[in-house]
Amino acid sequence: MSQCDAIQESIGRWLDGELKATDSEAVRSHVEGCLACGAARQRLEKIQTTLGGLLRAQASQLEFAPFWREVRRRIDEKRPWHEELIERVQSQLTAPRLAWAVPAAIILALGFISYAKWPLGGQVSNYASVESIDTHGRSVALLREDETKTTIIWLYQDPEGDNENVEEATKSGPAF
Amino acid sequence: MELSDWQLVEKCQAGDADAFQVLVSRYHQKVFMVILGLMRNREDALEVAQETFFRAYRKIKSFQGGSSFYTWIYRIAVNNAIDAQRKQKRNPLDFHENIEGIFEARNEVANDPFADVHDRELRENMSKAINELTPEHKAVIVLRTIEGMSYKDIGEILGCSEGTVMSRLHYARKKLQEKLRAYL
Repeated sequence: MSQCDAIQESIGRWLDGELKATDSEAVRSHVEGCLACGAARQRLEKIQTTLGGLLRAQASQLEFAPFWREVRRRIDEKRPWHEELIERVQSQLTAPRLAWAVPAAIILALGFISYAKWPLGGQVSNYASVESIDTHGRSVALLREDETKTTIIWLYQDPEGDNENVEEATKSGPAF
Repeated sequence: MELSDWQLVEKCQAGDADAFQVLVSRYHQKVFMVILGLMRNREDALEVAQETFFRAYRKIKSFQGGSSFYTWIYRIAVNNAIDAQRKQKRNPLDFHENIEGIFEARNEVANDPFADVHDRELRENMSKAINELTPEHKAVIVLRTIEGMSYKDIGEILGCSEGTVMSRLHYARKKLQEKLRAYL
């Protein structure tokens, strides 16, 4: 990888202010003296300003009064009792922890089964993991059993992935 | 004296809907921009933005200030927009529809006719190129563009790590550069 390739990989982070001071200075001095990297910088800035301009132009047409009236109408609207009940039950049942508790429980169970079958000292290398695959609470649990070469892949979507409360939970736990 | 977001949230939690109105007035345009960047269709984006604030109001008692209000509201907005887009059955209309009229009304067209045509083409193709990204890639680039948010904040909103934000942003920019090469 040439120096320009390496620099161009970092230009985005540099423009975003996400590089360390020393790296930032190295990128800046290179970009200022290099035509190709200077052009790469301009392309990124053009993308940013064009997209921002498009969105801001549309948002500037948005009037607050009718927007708020509609939000207020929804707030004031009496909803059917069963919808209220479902929401209340969901808010109790889908505590943020449950987003990862279910796959974690499965991994524990699989681990226990593996342990019961092959106690300590055995020459087995089973593998189990749980990974979050997107921002919508979808996770994949993977178990590979060494002796029979069995692989279990389990996809799981927790409705809580869409629960706005999750964001606060990620402060103190894994980002599932 | 202007109240902080958190002070307004506390008032909302005590049942003060007027305080919520102030919060909506502070964030409605930005929330709308984020959703529009994800959804393309202006009417759908408007509907999702209103639903976002409605849901926020219903959940505000559970908001404990562990994060900033804007991080929280953007998270609701992004989740709602991605959901709505996946459920969307009708054909999306480009968000750049009528956009040229808006630019002209705001006197934001270039004086040079050649540059004007060039900018117009770039805007048209930008909205197409954005729409070809996945929702996750759209989300990072839109959040970064609108608010200039740090990777940490974007990660909090999307429920992913800073490293994931960085790689998604890098990928999204690379794709946009490829698709818009002729106009940049």
